[in-house]
Amino acid sequence: MLNLQKLTPLDDTALEQIGFTWHTDNDGSKYISDTLVGVTEAEAEAYYTAANELYDMYVEAAEYVIENDLFFDLGIPFNLIETIKKSWENDVHWHIYGRFDFSGGIDAKPIKLIEFNADTPTGLYETAILQWALLKHNNMDEDRQFNNIYQAISDNFRRLVTLFDDVEEFDERYDGWKILFSSIEGNDEEEMTTQLLQKMATDAGFVTANAFLQDVKFDEKGIFDSDENQYEYWFKLYPWEDIGTDEPELAMLLGTIMKNQEAILLNPAYTLLFQSKGMMKILCDLFPDSPYLLPTSFEPLEGSYVEKRMFGREGANTKIVDAGGNTVSEVDGPYGNYRPIYQEYTEFVKDSEGNHYQAGVFFAYEACGLGFRRGGKILDNMSKFVGHVLV
Amino acid sequence: MRHLSTIGSAALLGSVGITVMSVLSGCEAPQEEAKNRFLVIEQQANGGYVVVEETPTEGPNRAIIRETDENGKVTERFMNEQEMQTLAQQEYDKMEAGQSELNAAPTDAGMGLAGTILAVAAGSLLGNMIGNALMGNKNFQKHSNTSNKSAYHRSAANKASGKSSTKKSFFGGSKKGSSTTRSGSYGG
Repeated sequence: MLNLQKLTPLDDTALEQIGFTWHTDNDGSKYISDTLVGVTEAEAEAYYTAANELYDMYVEAAEYVIENDLFFDLGIPFNLIETIKKSWENDVHWHIYGRFDFSGGIDAKPIKLIEFNADTPTGLYETAILQWALLKHNNMDEDRQFNNIYQAISDNFRRLVTLFDDVEEFDERYDGWKILFSSIEGNDEEEMTTQLLQKMATDAGFVTANAFLQDVKFDEKGIFDSDENQYEYWFKLYPWEDIGTDEPELAMLLGTIMKNQEAILLNPAYTLLFQSKGMMKILCDLFPDSPYLLPTSFEPLEGSYVEKRMFGREGANTKIVDAGGNTVSEVDGPYGNYRPIYQEYTEFVKDSEGNHYQAGVFFAYEACGLGFRRGGKILDNMSKFVGHVLV
Repeated sequence: MRHLSTIGSAALLGSVGITVMSVLSGCEAPQEEAKNRFLVIEQQANGGYVVVEETPTEGPNRAIIRETDENGKVTERFMNEQEMQTLAQQEYDKMEAGQSELNAAPTDAGMGLAGTILAVAAGSLLGNMIGNALMGNKNFQKHSNTSNKSAYHRSAANKASGKSSTKKSFFGGSKKGSSTTRSGSYGG
C-alpha cells in the first residue's frame, strides 16, 4: 500500500514570494500536491543506486554509439554530430545535471527506467527547494528527505574547474571564468529554473550573469551578452535537438566556438545522446541482464508496449498499446516528426484513487535527490508534483 | 542512511534558503537595502533619458541632468533629492493608475525623465517596500536594466562599436514562452 501523508500546503502567496509562480495549472488545479509520499530509507537507497548504475551504463553506451556511428539510429541531427563527438573527447565538457524518471521503487514494485532527461531537465525547483520547504512548513524533520540537489549541483559547477579532483581545490584554481545563463523569455518555470541554476553556480564561487536566448550574441571568437562581455561558459535551458533543427547556423557556430576553445557549452552536446530515447534500445543491447531496463526496440514489441518519440517531452506523443494491438491511452503533441521507439509497458505505482506515480531522481555527479509526479497512465504536463518524506 | 544526503540546514541552500525561511516564518522576503546614489542622466537623440553614470554615495540622492536642445546645445542642471523624490512619486502614482510608460515593456522611443529616475532609484527614493515591490514587476525590471548605462556598460559598448562586429543573435522573436503555465515548456 502506497504510504501517503497529508500536509498543510503552502498558499499561493507564499509560493510566489519564494519565486514559484507556476503553482496553478491551466485547468485551475494546484500543481503542488498537499500530500507527501512516504519512502523508506531502503527504497531511497535503491533509487540512489539505480541512478548511479544507470549513469555509468549511459556513459558506456554513449561510447559505443560514437565508436559505431549510431547517431542516425538515435535521431541525432546530423549537424550536431561533430559537436557531440568533440564534447565527448574532453572532460571539461562536464555534465551539470540530469533527471532519471522511474516507474516503481515504492510499494514493492521494481525500479524501471522510463527515460533520462539529461539535457534540459525541469522539476528542479520543486524537488530541490519546494519539497524541503513543505517539510519546514509542516514542522517536520528536514533531515528526512533524500534531497541534496542544491549542494550537489553547486559542487558539480565547481567540477567544471576541478574535474575529478576534490571540489575544495576550486578556490585555488578558479581564475574568474564567467558563466552566462539563458532561457527563453516569458516562461516563468524556465526562467526560474535557469535563475536557480545561476544561484547554485554563484554560490559555488563563479562569476555569473543571465540573458534571454535572443539577447546572446555569437561569433567564432565566442559568446557575448548585449554589453559585449564575453563568457567562458554558456548554460542554455534549451534543447540541443531544437538548436540542430531550428537554428542550424547557430549549431554550426557553436561547433566552431567549441573547436576554437572559446567557450564551454552546458549541458554538453553529448547529453543529447543520453536524452534520445533510442539510447534505451542501445542499453538493452549492451546490458540485457540489467534489472532496471524495460525491453526496448525500434520496432513494435509483442505484448503491451508504449510508443514514444526519440525526443518527446512531458509525455507528449506517447501511446500505450495493449497486447491485442489496441490503443489504451494516448497523448498528442508536437514531436510526431521524430522517429518512434517502443518500450515494454509497465504500470506505475497507483494510489487508492487510481493516480499513477513516477519517481524523478536528479543526478549531479551522483544521484542527489528524489521527487514524484502524479497523474494518469501517461504522465503529461498536467501531472502534479508530489514531494516525499523518509519514513 | 549510508549514501543519502539531505539538506539539513537552510544555510546549505544559500540565498534561496534565506528567502524560503523568511517567507515560512511569515516575514517579508529579505529586501536589498537601497543605497543612495549620485546619477548623471543624459538625454538621448530620441528624446528619452538614460543613466550614464552612477556612484553610490553616503550623502543624499542627487543627479545631474544633461539635456540637448533643438540647436544641439548641451545644458546640465542639478537636481536634489527632494526634486527626484517628487518626480519618482508622480511616476509611481501614474504606474499605480496604469498610466505610466513603466507599465509596458521598454520601446525604442526611450523613456521620460521621471520614469528613468523611478526605474533606477525607486528603492532609495520611495523606500525599500516600494522598490522591492516594483522589482517584482517584469516590465519595471526591464526598464531598470535598459535605463541604466552607467560607466562600465557605456565603456564596454563604446569599445565594441569601434570595430565592425560580426556577432549574431539567434532565437529571433518566435521563442517566447507562455507566462506562468507549464505548457509550452522546453524543459522535460
